[in-house]
Amino acid sequence: MSDGTEVGTRGAQVARAVGVSKIYGSGDTAVLALDDVTVGFLRAQFTAVMGPSGSGKSTLMQCLAGLDRVTSGEVWIGDTELGRLSERQLTLLRRTSVGFVFQAFNLLPTLTAAENITLPLAIAGDVPEDAWYNRVIDAVGLRPRLAHRPAELSGGEQQRVAGARALVSRPLIILADEPTGNLDSKASAEILTFMRRSVDEFEQTIVMVTHDPTAAAYADRVVFLADGRVVREMLEPTADKVLDSMKRLGD
Amino acid sequence: MWTVTLRGLTAHKLRLALTALAIVLGVGFVAGTYVLTDTISKTFTQLFEQTTKGVDVAVRTRDTFSSEGNEQRAPMPATLLDTVTAVPGVAAAEGSVFGYAQFVGKDGKPVTTGGAPTLGVSLSTVPQLQAGATLREGRRPTGPGEVAVDAHTAKKQGFAVSDRVTILFQGAPGQFTISGILGFGPADNLAGATLAGFDLATAQRVLNRQGLYDEIDVVAADGVSTQALRDRVRAVVDPSVEVLTGQQLAEDTAKAVGQFTKFINYALLAFAFVALFVGSFIIVNTFSIILAQRTRELALLRCVGAGRRQILTMVLLEALIIGAIASVVGLGVGVLVAMGLKAVFAALGVDLPSTTLVIQPRTVVVAIVVGVVVTLLASLMPALRATRIPPVAALQEETVAASTRISWRRIVVGTLVTAVGIALLLLGLFAARGNRLVNVAGGAVVIFLGVGVLSPLISKPLARLLGWPFAHWAGQPGRLARENAMRSPRRTASTAAALMIGLALVSLVTIFASSLKASVTKILDEAVAADYILTGPTNSSQGFSTEVVNRLRQQPEIESAAGIRLGVFKLDGTTQQLFGVDPPAYDKTVRTDTTAGSLSDLAGGGVAVRSDVVKQHGWRVGDTIGMQFPVGGAAQVPIRAIYKDNQLNGPYLLALTDYQRHYSDQLDIVALVKAKAGVSPDASRAAVSRVARDYPNVQIKDQAEYKADQASQINQILILFYVLLALAVIIAFIGIINTLALSVLERIREIGLLRAVGMTRRQLQSMVRWEAVIIAVLGAVLGLVVGTFFGWTLVRALRSQGVTEFRVPGGTLLIFVLLAALAGVLAAIFPARRAAKIDILRAITTE
Repeated sequence: MSDGTEVGTRGAQVARAVGVSKIYGSGDTAVLALDDVTVGFLRAQFTAVMGPSGSGKSTLMQCLAGLDRVTSGEVWIGDTELGRLSERQLTLLRRTSVGFVFQAFNLLPTLTAAENITLPLAIAGDVPEDAWYNRVIDAVGLRPRLAHRPAELSGGEQQRVAGARALVSRPLIILADEPTGNLDSKASAEILTFMRRSVDEFEQTIVMVTHDPTAAAYADRVVFLADGRVVREMLEPTADKVLDSMKRLGD
Repeated sequence: MWTVTLRGLTAHKLRLALTALAIVLGVGFVAGTYVLTDTISKTFTQLFEQTTKGVDVAVRTRDTFSSEGNEQRAPMPATLLDTVTAVPGVAAAEGSVFGYAQFVGKDGKPVTTGGAPTLGVSLSTVPQLQAGATLREGRRPTGPGEVAVDAHTAKKQGFAVSDRVTILFQGAPGQFTISGILGFGPADNLAGATLAGFDLATAQRVLNRQGLYDEIDVVAADGVSTQALRDRVRAVVDPSVEVLTGQQLAEDTAKAVGQFTKFINYALLAFAFVALFVGSFIIVNTFSIILAQRTRELALLRCVGAGRRQILTMVLLEALIIGAIASVVGLGVGVLVAMGLKAVFAALGVDLPSTTLVIQPRTVVVAIVVGVVVTLLASLMPALRATRIPPVAALQEETVAASTRISWRRIVVGTLVTAVGIALLLLGLFAARGNRLVNVAGGAVVIFLGVGVLSPLISKPLARLLGWPFAHWAGQPGRLARENAMRSPRRTASTAAALMIGLALVSLVTIFASSLKASVTKILDEAVAADYILTGPTNSSQGFSTEVVNRLRQQPEIESAAGIRLGVFKLDGTTQQLFGVDPPAYDKTVRTDTTAGSLSDLAGGGVAVRSDVVKQHGWRVGDTIGMQFPVGGAAQVPIRAIYKDNQLNGPYLLALTDYQRHYSDQLDIVALVKAKAGVSPDASRAAVSRVARDYPNVQIKDQAEYKADQASQINQILILFYVLLALAVIIAFIGIINTLALSVLERIREIGLLRAVGMTRRQLQSMVRWEAVIIAVLGAVLGLVVGTFFGWTLVRALRSQGVTEFRVPGGTLLIFVLLAALAGVLAAIFPARRAAKIDILRAITTE
């Protein structure tokens, strides 16, 4: 599965949620976080997931990542249905097929930038393929900063390291949870540009949860969630169009 | 502030429980020691009240050597009994004797006690004085062929009334018929001693007390008070004899045993102190970590108006509560420890008498005060650090990472403290000034503190070095483990320092034992010219009959046999040890270089003195020195020879003729036997065995066997030390568990991240495990270094006492490091499980 970039074709579905529901708690306190969500993600497509807080966008992301189990429905990453996997198999799947960029605390403080980038490979006992590693480093523009520890990097640099880490193991899909949430607009633009390039140049599939219309404008497609349901999809979004939709969703 | 304190405590229950455990164990050891020794004391007191029952007044010679707990009393002439009996108000008076008598079991081996005496006594015929030793079965012995045995020995050896038994004495062994079994009130024996009871005449004969009494017991006539009678008897005897009431006698006897209990008490308290000292490192560490993690909370308190003093009060209040709770629990644990220690002693052959455990109010007070004070002192430094948290920290990102910069202050303070410790240690070991034990112990403590201060400086490079194998062979978990062990040097160092203390002491005793064994071997090789070394039973300081040497001399295969008898005397008021030897025989079996005179000059009596002692006093051959002996009092003894130190002779050799006059018991502790030239080893050994056959308490060893035997005795003591130090080491490992558990909590987001990017639970667990192993090995290595230094200084200091060789048993020390690593693996189990159980979602979405 890790060789998806070579075999897959642009436009094929690499991940999907089929009729996914997620209920937290039980009885009177039960909360329906996802309500029969069906959504697919295409190869080399950059999808933004948006919605008001509590709409279920983070839950969807976590279910896609195999970090959380769905209550009903199926989640597929490539040819694998996550519901059937054991805890260990899920871990191995995350290691090989899913890349992550979180809002904050993406990096291990004890490791250098380079070590953080190759962390998933090191965990698997692999070494990065040199050519690919160098392309990723150049794409992310971090070559002079590789020997630094996270504490010595700016917020934007840290997020780019996280992005490079997600990319270097060539996962089927990269999941980004509010990657620009803690960044100023310049740093945000840097990481978003990098993600855009990953999709365009490396045919990487990216799903990004965000509440920022400017960030969503970098995507190929925006999926709007409200009350645990997919309520709208938009292709070729712009910041204005997204903002407009968000306003209407709020009504 | 109370509410905040209590909430803080209840919010960190688990972290604090582990901290408290360190105190609980230390306090438990202290309390257990007191419970044990109080119990032993009480047992003895009860016992002596029992054995002196019916005695109104007791008469015996004064003890000149009681200060050393080494009772040596001269027997009294039998004629004194008539004087005492004639005192008005005396209803009955009876002389009694006691001495060495050792049963031979049905298996032909001597019955040993593991420390307690093997007593032979005369049994009373006066009805009032028979209350102490009561008949359980049969009747009291009468005549030269009968003996009564204590119930415990009878039970253990399967002796029954009318059985024939062999008993060993100072003189020739004898055959006796058991006439009765004795009890002592509820007790089956006298605190572990074996007892052979005879009628008076038989006892005087077999115990080497012809015409003598060790004690005269008096029964008062009706209407005469014991005090009055005591004073009346006192008026008629000479001042070298003391007269006591029965109650005084019981108290006095118990007091003599109390010296022994006090020694046990101090020895065990020393180990308890080590455990507490290790525990205090853990308290410092836990409080430091917890307070660092609560930086924002404390800063918030400062923001809303709490003063520094209030923060300090709050933290110390927490410590006080933990200390108090832990101490109370520790007190309970102490009772278990007391039982455990008893079991340990029993396993090593020291059977302590059993009664219900005694818990004195003093024990409760000491345990709680010690526990609370140690906790408070240990938490003081972290508490003061907490007061320096500025209110603005509440608004800043949480930064737990400690600064890793080299602190010059730390280098200076650490080096200074260590230097002071070393100076104190050397002063205690090499200069005969002040209280040496206090200097040595204080020096060791200060060195530990100094190294503790310095260790954060070296813990990072050392962790890098020790973590190398893990980083290279244990994959990414190994690499991360090394990084984690290096990231907070102070935390790693103080966790390792706790283990360092335990292992330093363990390696100290190991090195010392090895050096001792090597020294013994060397002394034997150089100083002993004998082919065979005869000793009493293992684990017994009692000697054997002098008949053995007498008969060996008559064997045609034997060139020479020399017995060594042990004695104490006073010189200018201080107690000294001497060997009583037969000079010509001794000269043939022990290589002694004389610088003046010769050992054969002692044939007509006198003393030989070691050259350094002679130099110290400015004596010369021909001078006489004033020696005060247990029998016969002070005597002027001429110096006949001066010899060089050969590590074996001791400072004084007294001619046998003088020894026989000045000591009431004649037993050889060791006998050295040399075969005639040309006699085959088989033939000479057969000759020695032939003589020893009648004395089953005598062990025959050639030099190689004797060395092996000494080594195994040293090993036994070594094991006892290991057991006693085990608690300190266990506490240190609790410290590792504690630190790792706290670190796992602190790194919850990192762990979540690692899990999210594909680290399996198993990899996560091995990451925590390797960190624990690195910390443990770090502590072990530091401990070995410090312990080797301690060992070297101790061996150096004891050079004049015969420890001439310094040996570092590399293999054993390496095993310690491996065991420490293994224990690290075990210590990691709990924190690793917690790390593996961390919910990834919650970890990565926290805050």
